[in-house]
Amino acid sequence: MIRLNVNDEEIETDAEPDTALLWVLREHLGLTGTKFGCGAGMCGACTVHIDGVPSFSCLTSIDSLEGAKVTTIEGLSPDGDHPLQRAWIAEQVPQCGYCQSGQIMRAAALLEENDSPERAEILDYMSPNLCRCGTYNRIVKAVQRAAREV
Amino acid sequence: MQNPSATPPEALAPLTRRRFLQSASALTFAIGSAGLVTVSRAGASETTQEDAGTEITAWVRIDTDDRVHLVFPSTEMGQGSSTALPLILAEELDADWDKVEIDQLDRDDRSFGNPIFGNILYTAGSTAVYGYFDSLRIAGAQARRILMRAAARSWDVPVAEVTTEPGAVLHEASARRMSFGEIAALPIDDLSVPEVTEADLKPASSFRLIGSDLPRRDIPAKSTGRETYAIDVQVPDMLFAAVLRAPVEGVSAAGIEDSESLAVPGVLRVLTLPEGIAVVAERLEAALAGKDRLQVDWTGATGVLASDSEATLSDYSAALKNPTAERAVWSETGDADRAIAAADRIVEAEYLSDYAYHAQIEPMAAVASVDPDGLGAEVWVGTQTQTWTTRTITETLGTTADRVRLHAMTMGGSFGRRTALQQEYVSDALLISKEMGRPVKLIWTREDDVKNGRLRPAAAQRLRAGLTADGALSGWEHRVATPSVIAYFNALRWEQVRPKDIVSMRGSESQFYGFADMRAEHVLTGRHARLAPWRGIGASYTSFAAEAFMDELALEARSNPIDFRMALLASNPRGQRLLKRVAEMADWSRPRDQTALGVSFAGYGDSMAAGIAEIALERESGIITVQRFWTAVDAGLIVSPDNALAQIEGGIVFGLSSSLKERITISGGEVEQSNYYDYEILRANEVPEIEIHLERSEARPTGIGEVGTPMVAAAVANAFHALTGKRLRHLPFIPDRVQAALA
Ligand code: FES
Ligand code: FES
Repeated sequence: MIRLNVNDEEIETDAEPDTALLWVLREHLGLTGTKFGCGAGMCGACTVHIDGVPSFSCLTSIDSLEGAKVTTIEGLSPDGDHPLQRAWIAEQVPQCGYCQSGQIMRAAALLEENDSPERAEILDYMSPNLCRCGTYNRIVKAVQRAAREV
Repeated sequence: MQNPSATPPEALAPLTRRRFLQSASALTFAIGSAGLVTVSRAGASETTQEDAGTEITAWVRIDTDDRVHLVFPSTEMGQGSSTALPLILAEELDADWDKVEIDQLDRDDRSFGNPIFGNILYTAGSTAVYGYFDSLRIAGAQARRILMRAAARSWDVPVAEVTTEPGAVLHEASARRMSFGEIAALPIDDLSVPEVTEADLKPASSFRLIGSDLPRRDIPAKSTGRETYAIDVQVPDMLFAAVLRAPVEGVSAAGIEDSESLAVPGVLRVLTLPEGIAVVAERLEAALAGKDRLQVDWTGATGVLASDSEATLSDYSAALKNPTAERAVWSETGDADRAIAAADRIVEAEYLSDYAYHAQIEPMAAVASVDPDGLGAEVWVGTQTQTWTTRTITETLGTTADRVRLHAMTMGGSFGRRTALQQEYVSDALLISKEMGRPVKLIWTREDDVKNGRLRPAAAQRLRAGLTADGALSGWEHRVATPSVIAYFNALRWEQVRPKDIVSMRGSESQFYGFADMRAEHVLTGRHARLAPWRGIGASYTSFAAEAFMDELALEARSNPIDFRMALLASNPRGQRLLKRVAEMADWSRPRDQTALGVSFAGYGDSMAAGIAEIALERESGIITVQRFWTAVDAGLIVSPDNALAQIEGGIVFGLSSSLKERITISGGEVEQSNYYDYEILRANEVPEIEIHLERSEARPTGIGEVGTPMVAAAVANAFHALTGKRLRHLPFIPDRVQAALA
């Protein structure tokens, strides 16, 4: 049994120790807001926070998470009303939406570090996360809108 | 769905059964391509899908609690049609948008199929709004009349005296008002469908919903991780499967060594499928680990399929000049040969483009639960066509459509990927579920998705045109050597349209220019890869060639690229307006220091776009960066302007990504790339600022999902010439090719 702290809940899982956090979140815990895109750290669809640091859950095995706090899109805000989530809706960012949990989780970490990021800073910071629908420019607008509101 | 609405007073009286059926029920409407087909009463507690018991889909249902259910006949892959289509009907119905609920059509019900595709249910080619626009409006207007008629009758006033406001019918003279739900509860005896013509429809000036920026309905769930895609579906007792598919099409396994796979804890079975080996496990991670440990001896690669993409492209190029190659005229006006022969000068150039992959971020996935008798199933899958997915299921199980319970899930991008007649990710999931007697979730890894991609074909194109002594165009010929995409991805369709392949050829008709003498010709080459439609279809490479060539001609004619196009657009004032507008937006004539501009005029179907790219170049590395992109677009009437801007911007990013980076190569019949590290797509830090002007128009809507893509490659190539004096004629413009062009 491996103990994990996910969204402030202590849970135990009987998954093998080398299982990727992504599979445990999605298929064992049913937290499917975190997405599988590449399994290789190349797309960012699986981005979660580990002790506040945006991380690829597809490349993180659960045995490395002893004592760590994992936050997923489901745990980012109590009612899905984090300033970024409100900004995402206001700017109508998502198209297919598949990448957007990962985008929002990475953007949340950016705002923790920098409360008024410039366009170029946002684009650089967000570049581990792919969006095939091409919502990048709206992401910039939404991050800046959220930054103004917090 | 329960109907908790207040029961109207008269219904509280002792009821005969007939009276009950007439009153305490919802009003439902069936739609066909010419508007409403029938109106009927249905138990308000029945869901839309259960109404199918009567063999009629209730496309519109008005509940007695005022809720209006609208069925969405297309599918949602990010393009926003799941909001736009219901909104068109709601406009004419004069529905209260806040009371409108949208239900996905999950069956192959062709009574309201896409008229653009012979009424099959098919979401592609930017056709949803354009294909359904008239029928939705007429149906909405008819339903509104029926409500007005019923209210007028119950008030005993002439129908001409009543009108509507959102969600209600009014009789102003007597200050009476009845909500749609109250009317649905009336004992209506006249359920005939009224005649409605174009002239009865709202003029654009009185639109309340169309053209306003109502938020998309799917966005809150997509901003909170709550949207459910096929890959997210979980059902009780579900198993997981990963499939090792043959590396080369048409190859079968000669020997399978699966003992290591079966040794992985949780792996239950290894199954041989028609084109792959499945590892089935209690857990996804076990299925994936088991798949990695399979050792398979693949034999039987045949000549044509074991191809190399480089050789394929040079074969295609040779076919351009081979008079005996199979050819089909795609589009022709006047006499191109004669006009070119009569010209003062002839200009000719050849363009190449590589295979491209969809790269949607959700890999193929399906959940299937086959019934114990093996002749029915519940299936959750993303699809661009309920029709062909249903067919895949019935063919796989040898059953009939009434045994299929399909859930057409929202897709994590698609761009043409999920359009095929046969969908192996669906049939594999069914076969595994049937064999195991349990529901199964089948997931492709990214590597599976790349290696088994359905590609945009490689193409070689030759453009030839004549110029008169004073630099006017005299004849245009566009020859495209590429395989038929339709013949591969939908053989049934090919029987109907052969030899005209819109997927391979679109764009080469150059319809926006009034060419007096032109011919576009398809040289039907051999297929050496698995193919599918891809955003922009043929126009993604034909418009590259045509618009890059247009700049070559302009130079030869000593004309400015914009002026040269302006002259050719003389009979297309809407097109001229776009070109003029985009030139102003980009400040076209202002010289730049380190950067340069390139223009392109293309579009998709009847939607037009003029675009200008501003690029910079790092000569050492051969890396092009696009710094700004401006576009002016005319797509007729725009149903949802904000979403249209998002789609156009997305289409431009897609076009930039494919112009600069995307390239599949094939060696020995096997796709050489495997993941986003060797099939790179545009990242945030590579995206330019994009400025879009959307023309206001009351002309028919013509689609916005793809119009952003086709113009992009030529705009970049033309900017590169402006910057360096060199031509880029092979798509994508990867650093090696840029360096070669500069050398
Ligand atoms: S799934 Fe983890 S980075 Fe792509
Ligand atoms: S919204 Fe579709 S991949 Fe980003």
